[in-house]
Amino acid sequence: MGKKKRATALAIWLCVVLILLVCGLVTGGSTVKHESIKEVMRDAVLHESNKISLLGIVDVNPALISAFTVTGIVLFIAACIRIFVIPKFQYVPGKFQLLLEQMVGFFDNLARTNSPHRNKFLGAYVFAAGVYIFIGTLFELFGLQGITTEGMSIALPAPLSDINAAISLGCLSYLVILSGGIAGNGLRGVGNTLKDFSLPISMSFRLFGALLSGLLVTELVYYYIQLSFILPVVVGIMFTLLHALIQTYVLTMLTALFYGEVSEPHEKTKK
Amino acid sequence: MNIPLNIDWQQILLHLFNFAILAGGLYFLLYKPVKNFMDQRLAYYAGMEKEATDKIEQAKAKEQEYQKLLEGADKEISQKKEQASKDAKKMAETIVEDANKQRDHILAEAHKAAEHEKEKMIQDAKEEIVGLAMAATVKMLHGEAVSHE
Repeated sequence: MGKKKRATALAIWLCVVLILLVCGLVTGGSTVKHESIKEVMRDAVLHESNKISLLGIVDVNPALISAFTVTGIVLFIAACIRIFVIPKFQYVPGKFQLLLEQMVGFFDNLARTNSPHRNKFLGAYVFAAGVYIFIGTLFELFGLQGITTEGMSIALPAPLSDINAAISLGCLSYLVILSGGIAGNGLRGVGNTLKDFSLPISMSFRLFGALLSGLLVTELVYYYIQLSFILPVVVGIMFTLLHALIQTYVLTMLTALFYGEVSEPHEKTKK
Repeated sequence: MNIPLNIDWQQILLHLFNFAILAGGLYFLLYKPVKNFMDQRLAYYAGMEKEATDKIEQAKAKEQEYQKLLEGADKEISQKKEQASKDAKKMAETIVEDANKQRDHILAEAHKAAEHEKEKMIQDAKEEIVGLAMAATVKMLHGEAVSHE
């Protein structure tokens, strides 16, 4: 592309951005807000008012609907890959095959390096947890809408920005670590795991805090229409993409590390 | 009892249920097949590497074997050379000995034949002298008879 063309394209893009900004500022005042920013923030943390009906059986937090949606999407894509892609795998991989192998290989290596003695189950668990956290966190970027029990539209948040989801994953990770301790060392393994009794709480609240902070910043940015230009790109990357990567790595790495530690067989000391 | 932060046990269980489905599905649909394929490829290349290593070892073993054979052949050649030289020497000695024997034999035969010839010639000469003497005697007797008549 020539310099002139590049300058023209840049000028057009800036004009479009400016026009949109002006339009936003002009029309911003007429927007009717159903909730104050305080209520929005409070609801994002506590989920007191905005509930979604789960098939008419029970009213649940929107994050649970997000979780089921993420699971549905992920399993559908996985089934498609299993049926159409995996049977055509080659010994010299293509780009997509390489991506899949890298994904599986990354979590498998994480399990192997951190827990050399027992890692088969751990590899499968950290793979599932990693995929769930990563895709679940990116899910909020798509802004899928749900209808609350009060008839309002709400953007489905990341599943793990709900305290219940974070607690479930944190406690499950702790139980997996405990199972590794029992399988590797029996009662001594249980003792080793129970020593770190704060682990489920720290893992749960780390996840919850990290993802909630992203959600709150995003809510804040989108609440004021004037902040809805350009800034969401930065916020989206900072609080969603990086969180997705960091939290995936942190939880899976911690789980693998503790699992390896408690499942490591101890040699009996000679008297 | 109202739990702080609106923690709801039912929803925690529902999240666990959701994650269990996801984990199981991902294990059977993605993790296991991809890992199996990777293990299979690893085994394939490990097999190839082992095969190559085995072939190299076999080649080395054969090289050593041939080296040993060559060393043995050299020894054998020098031994055979030595043996051949010994045999040739022996054979030459035998031939010379035979030739000497033959020469002695021929000489002895020649001496014998010459002696025999000599004796024969002397005998012939004697017989001829006797014949001549007889003839001379007869002639003389005949001449005397003629003269008497």
